[in-house]
Amino acid sequence: MLRTVIVGLVALGFACGAKAQTIKIAILGPMAFVQGEHHWNGAEMARDEINKGGGVNVGGKRMRIELVRADTNEIQSVPDATNAVERVITRDKVDFLIGGFRSEAVLAMQEVAMDYKKLFLGVGAAHSKLGLNVEQNYERYKYWFRVSPTKDVDLARTLFAVMGSIGQQIRNDLKTDTPKVAILAEKAVWTEGLVAAAQKNLPALKMEVVGLWQPSAVATDVTAELSAIDRAGAHIVFTMLSGPVGISVGRQMGERNMKAVAWGINVEGQKEEFWSAAAGKAQFVSTLDTYAEVEYTPKTIAFVKAYKERFKKAPTYTAATYDAIMMLRDAIEAEGSTNADKIVGHIEKAEHIGTGAVATFDKRHDLVWAVGKTSGIAVQWQDGKKVPFWPPNVKGMQPFKMPAR
Amino acid sequence: MKYWLRRAGAELRNEVLVLPSRTLVLLWVVAVLALPLVYGDAYVLRILTMTCIFAIFAASWDLLAGYTGQVNFGHALFFGAGAYTSGLLSLKLGLSPWLTIWAGAAVALALGFLVGYLCLRLRGSYLSLATLAFPLIALGLLFAFPDFSGGELGISGLRRLMVTPVANYYVAAISMLAIVFGLWLLADSKFGIVLHAIRDDEVAARASGINTLQYKMTVFAIAGAAAGFAGALFAHYLRVAGPSTLEVALSFQVVIWGIFGGVATIYGPVAAVFILYPLTEWLGSIPGVGELRLLIFAVIVLLVLLFMPRGLAPWVRDKIETQCPRCKQRNGSWKIVCRLCGAALQTQVTRAQRLVGHQ
Amino acid sequence: MLQDILVTGLVNGGVYALLAIGFSLIFGVARIVNIAHTAFYMLAAYCFYTLLVKTGLGYLLSGLISVGAVTLLSVVCYRLVIEPVREHEAAVLIATIALALVFQELMLYTFGGHFLGIPSTLDGSVRFLGVSIPYQRLLILVVAGAMLVLVWFVLYHTRLGLAIRATANDLEVANLMGMNVHRVAMATVAISVALAAVAGVVVAPVYVVDPFMWLAPLVTMLAIVVLGGLGSMKGSLIGALIIGYVEAITVFAVPAGAYLKGAVALLIMVIVLLARPEGLFGVAFEEER
Repeated sequence: MLRTVIVGLVALGFACGAKAQTIKIAILGPMAFVQGEHHWNGAEMARDEINKGGGVNVGGKRMRIELVRADTNEIQSVPDATNAVERVITRDKVDFLIGGFRSEAVLAMQEVAMDYKKLFLGVGAAHSKLGLNVEQNYERYKYWFRVSPTKDVDLARTLFAVMGSIGQQIRNDLKTDTPKVAILAEKAVWTEGLVAAAQKNLPALKMEVVGLWQPSAVATDVTAELSAIDRAGAHIVFTMLSGPVGISVGRQMGERNMKAVAWGINVEGQKEEFWSAAAGKAQFVSTLDTYAEVEYTPKTIAFVKAYKERFKKAPTYTAATYDAIMMLRDAIEAEGSTNADKIVGHIEKAEHIGTGAVATFDKRHDLVWAVGKTSGIAVQWQDGKKVPFWPPNVKGMQPFKMPAR
Repeated sequence: MKYWLRRAGAELRNEVLVLPSRTLVLLWVVAVLALPLVYGDAYVLRILTMTCIFAIFAASWDLLAGYTGQVNFGHALFFGAGAYTSGLLSLKLGLSPWLTIWAGAAVALALGFLVGYLCLRLRGSYLSLATLAFPLIALGLLFAFPDFSGGELGISGLRRLMVTPVANYYVAAISMLAIVFGLWLLADSKFGIVLHAIRDDEVAARASGINTLQYKMTVFAIAGAAAGFAGALFAHYLRVAGPSTLEVALSFQVVIWGIFGGVATIYGPVAAVFILYPLTEWLGSIPGVGELRLLIFAVIVLLVLLFMPRGLAPWVRDKIETQCPRCKQRNGSWKIVCRLCGAALQTQVTRAQRLVGHQ
Repeated sequence: MLQDILVTGLVNGGVYALLAIGFSLIFGVARIVNIAHTAFYMLAAYCFYTLLVKTGLGYLLSGLISVGAVTLLSVVCYRLVIEPVREHEAAVLIATIALALVFQELMLYTFGGHFLGIPSTLDGSVRFLGVSIPYQRLLILVVAGAMLVLVWFVLYHTRLGLAIRATANDLEVANLMGMNVHRVAMATVAISVALAAVAGVVVAPVYVVDPFMWLAPLVTMLAIVVLGGLGSMKGSLIGALIIGYVEAITVFAVPAGAYLKGAVALLIMVIVLLARPEGLFGVAFEEER
């Protein structure tokens, strides 16, 4: 009798002890919106894969990953986001933070995380300031890494690389020497540098800039802008759009049967729902993207397939929480501990082959840009499907199409 | 020394503890000041610091809307002006935040005069809807000069006023108590009576020789300054001053707090913020319910409006206190005889007195 | 460029006019600043989307059912939420704000924060004066015009319209004359929200549908109604055209400043109010003593 009790108590002790052996990771994002949804999905896939494999090996001890879902509501309220960060750190006692989306909010969230010296892996906010903080005050901000996307100025390099190839296609098809480009960039801080770069580089690429239009990021009507662009006879509409204005542009270009083709950044255009949101009119809209069923890295195709099967939709770039968690796992196992400083040191030096990129970090803890490694891919909407067309040397790419003239 | 203690004790017994509403206020002040000693949790302190900041904001709106009847739908303009000014000065010129928050309040004061001047001839709904425009125009200007204002990101990397969460909490709490009491004293004085007169009948007030234009502009300025101060505190607490400080949603939020708590009371909106903000934050942290918190908030507001159309504070106050029919002073509602003039309180007349309302 | 401005201004003005007339009506008659006006517009858009895409009823039927359902809902809301607090102006104000928030959150919860696109009723476009106008926009203009004529007819040639105008003129005397003021108020609310719902059905396909789509049109609509004068139908129409043209001019004249079109429109409103505190055609209300 006594022996049974003792065995029972010991077993209970083990169970309680086992429950306490988890690595808690907070997934921060606007959970009511698409971005947060993909944050969470990517994280769940990573957690399930790691736990099924027995958990993370922390210096000999096996620990499971436990996710804490934190709705930052950052799109509607910046204080809500910082409250959420403080809550997961002090109440839920998480070890690591991953996520974030709206740059204004992530800047504030970064401050809270750095106060507590918690590792914060950003997946979603592109603003350079986040990395600049690391360079200017390393001791305080070193716990921040941007796993996805590349910082905003590096996006420009990809954009111009693709622009060159589209320009060449136009020269061949339309027999014109200098294709005309209309810049349609939402009025935002992140587009300022890109616009200036475009105005300088496009003439160097032998393309003529016919004008610059800057609607608001939440504009729902761009007919005036498109009328003017039509009148200017542009061949390419160079888009830099992150808000719902991207949907309006796609739809209204199609409704007006515009002969120009849209290429650039169109964040709404990266989502599966874009085609139906544009009521099936956004034919040939092309944009920079992260995930497609192509062999961008050796792991991409398997990840995208598994994601589609589980969640019935294709991943967007915020699903790179998967890569962030895998990166953490590799760092913890290599260093044999969950100590933040050690992990920082490891990530700084290691190269991580993820699903969206082959990642190495520079001294700003931003991704080092390279075609085929972290540049992302270019996709075009054709007949309701997102078709990848760049970089051309990656397996699975298809040709770029233009509207009929 | 002993004299002051005895004096304080006498004041307490005769002025404060005789009325349940004043006792409640005293208890609340003690609670606000003593909180970190009881509950030093960083998360709770953060929530309450934000509550104190928003309480200043709501009280300043009430002075404007409740007392002069100028229902301001763009109060976020002053909040954002204070935040951006203080942020820009402390970042670009390297000044200490302790100086720049006053600069923020000063800029908001000037804006208050400007808006007050522009809205002098507008009445009622015209004024409300015109004030809605100002923060949006300011937003347009900020977006037009992104190098200066940081565009849609705002300014980040601002310095905190104090280092520890407890110290920051006390800064916010003491500012809140000082400003709210200041506003309340202002509203309770002759200045406040003039404001009431202007709200009730501006033509008659003018006919009585009151320079209503000056009063209206002054109130706009004072309310603006208080809101600007709150905005500056906000910016230095979050360390970011962005366009979210000028949003329509924030202006609407303060209108809801003000009317929910009870206009023309000062303490009403403060109570509303102290009840609603932690409540919505707590709802937000419950998994599953979190995403519905704004819905629950709106439903609570609607329900409370149905039962307490004048707001929460007047309703509670009427429940715990009655007005003496003879000397018009307030007494606890359980009292049988008025504490000042000895008149009988609990008679059939009492209900009619309740309808006459508060002072 | 001039043709672009002329045509774009007219088309956009028509869109705004549809929203503004309804709001102006309810303010002019019931003295209610209905912040939830554009929220009803949003509800109608979502209803139309659901009926059209999920159940496959035709455009006309979906549209009619959406308008009917939303109008009915508005009457219910009025009875439950607004009427009990009619005497307290301040309370009515935040009741409508709270109502709008409830609708927003319900849509967010049901449909998520995604952007939805409603298929256009009419596809294709026509070239007029060298500017390409999609048929859907022409439809909006036609519907706006038809609604205006309908409202004018109801107000000036029916007994109900007479009652509405009478209560707008002087509520107390109308009550004394034996008109059921509550019924008239309800009818006004119904007509006003029906107009917003019609706007939701024809206008939403042109824009993007999401739970926050009620905020931007709200501000523009308030600017228009204030500019034209609260309570004046004619004022709202002219205000809508003015704002439509101001926005078109801003975009065409200063393409890099296109994002400022909202701020410029509001600035115009403020300037007009400085010159004429009641708006262009507004009625100055005598305060009741």
